[in-house]
Order: sequence, then C-alpha cells, then structure tokens
Amino acid sequence: MASSQQAQSPPLEPSALTRLIASASGNPLAATTIQILHNLQHQHLWTSLEIHDISETSIASDAPPTLISGIPPHRVYTHPDEQLYMLEKGIAEDDLRPERLFVIPTAQGQSWSLRRMAAAFDSLAILELSESEEALSSGESVDPEKAQKLDEYYERKANARETKEWGTRRALLAMTNRGMGGEGTVVYYVVQEGEVKPRQN
Amino acid sequence: MESTPTLPIPISYVSGRYLLFSIDAVTYLRREHNICGVLIGTLPQIPQQNVFLGLPLELMPEEARVLVDKDVACIVDEARAHDGMRSLLEEDRRQYLRDLESQGQLATRMLSDRKDQQREQSLKEIDEKKAKGLAAKAAKAAADAQAAASSTSAPTEKEEPNSVFAGEDESSSLSRTTGTSTPAHHQAMGVTPTTSYPPLPHPVSPSAQYLPKPEVPLSYPLFAHLHSRGYFLSPGLRFGCQYVAYPGDPLRFHSHFVVVSAEWDQEMNLMDIVNGGRLGTGVKKGFLLGGPQKRRDEVESEADRIETVRTFSIEWAGM
Repeated sequence: MASSQQAQSPPLEPSALTRLIASASGNPLAATTIQILHNLQHQHLWTSLEIHDISETSIASDAPPTLISGIPPHRVYTHPDEQLYMLEKGIAEDDLRPERLFVIPTAQGQSWSLRRMAAAFDSLAILELSESEEALSSGESVDPEKAQKLDEYYERKANARETKEWGTRRALLAMTNRGMGGEGTVVYYVVQEGEVKPRQN
Repeated sequence: MESTPTLPIPISYVSGRYLLFSIDAVTYLRREHNICGVLIGTLPQIPQQNVFLGLPLELMPEEARVLVDKDVACIVDEARAHDGMRSLLEEDRRQYLRDLESQGQLATRMLSDRKDQQREQSLKEIDEKKAKGLAAKAAKAAADAQAAASSTSAPTEKEEPNSVFAGEDESSSLSRTTGTSTPAHHQAMGVTPTTSYPPLPHPVSPSAQYLPKPEVPLSYPLFAHLHSRGYFLSPGLRFGCQYVAYPGDPLRFHSHFVVVSAEWDQEMNLMDIVNGGRLGTGVKKGFLLGGPQKRRDEVESEADRIETVRTFSIEWAGM
C-alpha cells in the first residue's frame, strides 16, 4: 500500500546544491570547482570568491583547469616564525588586513601526480603576479603606534617573502568526497612549495 | 676527539648490507656529513639484549651512495678484502698479538693513572677542607673561650663528619707513600679490535679494487636533495613513510618531516595525501611529498635527477 502511494507522489525536488552543481557544463571537474566554492562560501564563510581559469596558462594538459581564490574570515595558516614575530611585537591576527588565498579543487578518486601539483603551483605564480597589491585600502588606523607596528610587520613580511623565511608560495588543496554516495565532505590541506618547517600545533 | 679518518672511508659490503666497523668513521660521518645510519651490533652471545646496540653501523644504500658520490667513502667487498688473512705470516701474526697485548697494557695503565689522579684530587680537596675547618675551629675556639661552657656540645657535633674522613685519610695517606711507587700488577685489558687493519693492510689503497656504486631505490634523488639541504635522514618505517627528516642531529632536534617520494608522472591517490597530511600533523610534523622531474631513462646519471627535485610540504588546514 505504502509503496504504491509513494510511487504516485511527485519526485523529490533536487536540492539547491544539486541544482547548482548540475548547472556546471557537464564537465565533472567544473562541478567539483562549483561544489568546493559553495562549501567555502557557506560553510567556511569565505568572501570575494573567484574562479580562475588556468587551462590556458598551464603547460600540462591534465592539470586542474581551474583554481579558486577567496578571502577567509580568519587566517588559515601562519608560519611558526611569523607567529613568533607577531607575538614579540604584540600584533594580533585580527589587526592584519585579510589576505587572498588560493584553493586547488580536487575530488576523491581523481588521478593526481606531482606533475599536476607543480602545474597548479606554476599557474599560481602567474596569478599571484597579477593579483598582488590588490588591497592596500584598509587604512582605518585607529592608533598611530599600532599603525606603525603594522607597517613594520608588512615590510618584514615583504622581505620574508623574498627570503622565504616565513614559508613559500602556498595554496589549499581541497578534496571533496565523490564516491560512496558523495555526502559532500570537503577536506582542506595547506600545501607549500619546498621544505617548510611544520607549525607547532 | 676531533679525529679525521683517512679518506675515502671503506664501507664494508657484507651480503647486501653496507656496514661500518670503525668508530672513528662513524663519529666522523655523523659530525661532518650528517649521516647517522643505524647501529645494529649486539653482544654475540646475548643477541636478545637489543635495546642499546653498538657497532657495526648499517647504512641505507642511499646513505652509502651519497657518501660515494661525494668521494668520502668507497665500497669494499668484505670477503675479498680478507683473502689476505690466510697468507698472513706466522711472524706477523705473533707481532700483531703482541701489539694487542701492549695496547691492553697501555689502556690499563691509563685507567689506573686516571684513578690515581682522581684520588689525589679528592685527597687534596679533603686536606684543604680540613685546613679550612681547623682555621675556623681555632677562630671559633678563641671566641668560645670567652663564651660559657654550655656551647661545648656544638663543636663535638661538628667534628663528627670530619673524623669520618680522617680515618680514611690515614689509610689513604699510607697508600700514598707506598702505592704509587710500586707499579700495580694489574692484568692487561683484553682489546677487541673492530677493524681488521692491522694486521691486514688498509683496504683503501691505490691498487685496491672497489665495488661499483650502491644500487639505490627510485627515491634516491629526493634523499640526496634533502641531504644536500642539511637534513639528517633516517629510515621511515617508524612513521609509515620513506624517510624521516631532521633539521639537525636527531639527538638534538625533533624531526620536521615525514618524507614520501614519487616519480613525476606517478599516479597517486589523493587519499594518500590525506593520509600523509593527517599522520604528519598528528605527530607534529609536516608531510613532505617530492620527486625528480626526470625519469631514470631520461638522464645519464642519477646525479642529473637530483637537481630537478621539487618538493611540497603538506599540513592539515584544520578546517
């Protein structure tokens, strides 16, 4: 009885996420990108999210075709030496201007290799060149002492970027669960180029 | 002791293992070339006592290869190097045994000298202390003479620890006059040499034949790359990886990375990155994934692959 009643009822409406993902142009990788962007936006509350098409700039044909970038509400990664400097100078993380972070979207079961990882980082370098110095506008300095401290910090940071003292080029590697029903978990790993000493968690 | 052994250091190749038997070579390589190896020697009769191991030191093929590539070491076929043992002259053999015995006597003498020195040192200290105590006591006695008789209990208490040493002092001062003049008839220590030269000639000589460079796994370029950056690398079984990388001597530093190598186009499961990242973060390390950009068949020698290594450090983002 019950089953026949169910059969008569209209099919369930697809969820908002399913509809969003289905809007991707049939390309499974594009769907992954959209799903991870959705997760960043609504679960982790990232802002100013953008999708970058890197299929033209990257040399390797099988590299991920897109990267995502956005501004996280809190810092995702602080290098241990940078953290030490901030502690010494009494700089809180909330005082710093938000930073744009790049995300490499992948899905579980997708084939991956060092070549692909390197291709993603190479195109990241090109993107960062064009994106650098985008937000120098957060100049609502309340207290001149703090403003000077922050200026020193930014100078130090620019210096550390050259010497790679405070870590190297970094991105988040996002992996979404696809097989086994695909319940939509996304995990994030910080990837940096070269040997960067671990954080002291 | 900052001794430098004669270079190149002979690495003994025994049934597929690369071994070092000379403690000078072991300490030198650790100090100057960031090579730790693994001690594998037990007492021959109680091999189950294996918490503290001694010589020989076993090297990974990668470690042996790095040393050979840097011309610091060479690989010697242990069996062939000992062919000369049978043709050793009886006279040489006896001479060698005499040498060993005199070495043992020397060691005994050094030990007893050191003991004497220590004893004299401590006697001197006691004498000084006693002199000081006497002076203090004399001063106190002068002061006490004016004081009442009720204070007599204090000096006797004070004298007690002194008298304990005084007894010992008398007996030892006796031995001081008699003991040192006559040489002690100790039994010479038994010396067990860890290397076989002498009596055999040093295995590194212009005429000697060395084995070819050690065969290394595909992960060698990453090993050599990290080693050239000053990392100490040890086998990775403990952390489920290929190598554990320490930023300095493992006795002084915690390790920074669990290292896994891959070929440039080697398909890898993303789940392996999750596993490595989680494991590394769980033990306060980074997960280091890397490899050379060239395949073995693309280059002439392994050295060309080392320059093309690229690495990535991975940590859990915590979100």
